[in-house]
Amino acid sequence: MIPIKTLRIDIADWTSTVVPLARRHGWRYGHLTVRRDADQYRLLELLLLHPPTGAAEIVTAQIARADREFPSVTAGLPAAHWAERAIGDYWGLTAAGHPRWKSLAIHQELEALAPPFANSEEGRADPGESAFMTVAGEGVHVIPVGPIHAGIIEPGHFRFSCLGEVIANLEIRLGYQHRGIEASLAATPFRHARHVVESSSSDSTVASAIAHATAVENLLEVAPPARAGAIRTLALEIERVANHLGDLGALASDVGFSIGAALFGRHRGAALGLGQTLAGTRFQKGFVSPGGLAWAPQESSITDLTNQLPELEVRVEEACNLLFGNPGFEERLEGVGVLSPSLASEFGLIGPAARASGSSYDARRHYPHALYPGLDVDISGQAEGDALARATVRRQELCASWAVIHAVLASLPDGGVSVGIPDTLPGKRVAIGVVEAWRGELIHWITTDERGNIARYSIRDPSFQNWTGVSIAVRNNLVADFPVINKSFNLSYSGNDL
Amino acid sequence: MLTALLQAAKQQKATDAVDFPDLPTDRGGLPKLTREPCLGSPCRACEAACPTGAITISGEGDQSRISLDRGLCITCGACMAVCPTSSIVPDPSTRTAVRRREDLVLQNISGDDSDSVPVLGEPCGGILNRSVDVRVVSTGCNATDQEVAATANPIFDCSRFGVQFVASPRFADVLLVTGPGGMAMHLPLLRCFEAMAEPRLVIAVGTCAISGGVHRGGYAGANGVAPHLEVSAFVPGCPPHPWSIIHGLMIATRGETDTRS
Repeated sequence: MIPIKTLRIDIADWTSTVVPLARRHGWRYGHLTVRRDADQYRLLELLLLHPPTGAAEIVTAQIARADREFPSVTAGLPAAHWAERAIGDYWGLTAAGHPRWKSLAIHQELEALAPPFANSEEGRADPGESAFMTVAGEGVHVIPVGPIHAGIIEPGHFRFSCLGEVIANLEIRLGYQHRGIEASLAATPFRHARHVVESSSSDSTVASAIAHATAVENLLEVAPPARAGAIRTLALEIERVANHLGDLGALASDVGFSIGAALFGRHRGAALGLGQTLAGTRFQKGFVSPGGLAWAPQESSITDLTNQLPELEVRVEEACNLLFGNPGFEERLEGVGVLSPSLASEFGLIGPAARASGSSYDARRHYPHALYPGLDVDISGQAEGDALARATVRRQELCASWAVIHAVLASLPDGGVSVGIPDTLPGKRVAIGVVEAWRGELIHWITTDERGNIARYSIRDPSFQNWTGVSIAVRNNLVADFPVINKSFNLSYSGNDL
Repeated sequence: MLTALLQAAKQQKATDAVDFPDLPTDRGGLPKLTREPCLGSPCRACEAACPTGAITISGEGDQSRISLDRGLCITCGACMAVCPTSSIVPDPSTRTAVRRREDLVLQNISGDDSDSVPVLGEPCGGILNRSVDVRVVSTGCNATDQEVAATANPIFDCSRFGVQFVASPRFADVLLVTGPGGMAMHLPLLRCFEAMAEPRLVIAVGTCAISGGVHRGGYAGANGVAPHLEVSAFVPGCPPHPWSIIHGLMIATRGETDTRS
């Protein structure tokens, strides 16, 4: 259970109250969003996390019916700047005082779409600076890229303003994959919601399913059986291993080290095979369910998994030694795309990207999900903040994941894998699930109405927080280095767009 | 460099020994129908468990009938987990792509001996027989993107079948679409298609690209690629297995499923 303290304040005091609250020692910014109460008032809500105690706090302020705007906290709390822009798109509200106000996900490609959570009287947000920020000066040229990219990756538009080969500014426009997931989660019967959340960023299927299950279990005040918790841990770490291997392979590919790319591609396939052994499919779809697991894996699956591990571990270690021992790879990444620890912290970056810039925050240490925080996870970071540091953190996390998988398999609890879940949720409750996905902290935040229906389902994907990091890291770097910098973050577009 | 070459040489062959191997699955993956008698209307457990309405049950006893639309199936396994009669079971086959949308709908009348596996449609390829350049456009599913990219890795090695992924639609024969294609991608998708020279084909990879999957019917218009472009092959799955994706490319561009012909 994650204890949540709620605090109701007047909207006039919003900025002066929440900025100092968020900046208290030990507290972290979680998410900022809007929901509607039973009387159809819009409530501005800020989620704050206190990792040392595993607690959370929600600050709420009511927005007057006629208001078209809310006070921005971005100047004092830059981590909220992306979320305030999302509120503009989805609720038609303008963040008054936002230093770089513009749309986030719903831009001119989606002109036909009214703010999905606003009613007809509430209208749209101020479009603000709807064009891309332009860099003026002699010799500045603009390179537009996307939404369709050259490789097999998700769509998004990047606009580089360059001086010669050097990037002066990068504007990132996402939202091309907006599918209306949050609205759909409030409309779907809650028993089917787990399938919708798995598609929010489908390369993080297990993390999303665990975040959802944890939030629902917190709402219902039930705990899954110990065996389910242990198997969820295995599933989550297998997902992390597979994706970190994929990322290292992609980096090898981007620097032209094709042997490395081939090796990591192969090992990533083997890691997905571990998922198939455990859960039936390579991406472990539909496996984690509120109350535990949707089905119990057979004993033979656990044995097969245990037997498949050692060989892959050895091969991955060999491939890592080859990649990181290659001076070409190291030189190509070193000092490229530096994100300083202070900026990473100010903008609330999370996950491997933050841990490569001096952060030591990992939700596995602090928030209950799967068997965490009961397991000792080796959190090792880097301080350099460059592409090499982000690659190195992934390598270190592979080792930590193997250790976790072995520890769980060595003492796998017996017993059932699910507890019954009632057909309805309790009314007027709020709960969150916080999971360390392979890209970082993932938050699912559910509020129910008086009848126990989901009134608001908010997802704070790790990439939602980290895209700003890419913009910052590419500044003053060569255009030709953008692919490796982008790949060293490897963020989710669909998780951001929802 | 020598170390790298030595290590590469030390690797045993990664590529699957058999093309389109069956999957070692007792859970998950695409479901298929069996001839085990279904309880019919009195049961309907699978229909209720399905999050996308892919299953409809009618009749009872000898007349009970299951209709399973794999174009809506997100392979969550919920139907198979609740079926009391093993009428819906995991399909180990990786030859799951079809040319016609209606062939994704499996039907079974209890006790009937008719096969529930769809019949392949007429060949539609020809000129793209040996060399297929593919432009991938992702519209909202990064898992399917990963599986498409995986077809080029040493395990599946789709270049053996003449398949290359290209950066520009100008070079492409096939537009491979993943994801449900929400509103903001409608125009970029059409522009990409228009930039391709004829002959050109469209393949919908993944349940979302076929029908929108869990996103179908929402305000964002994410209902798959079919409302916008004519589709030559449908690859169901969420995400589909890399072998199934290769199967889709083969049936769209060649006359038959024998990849080495």
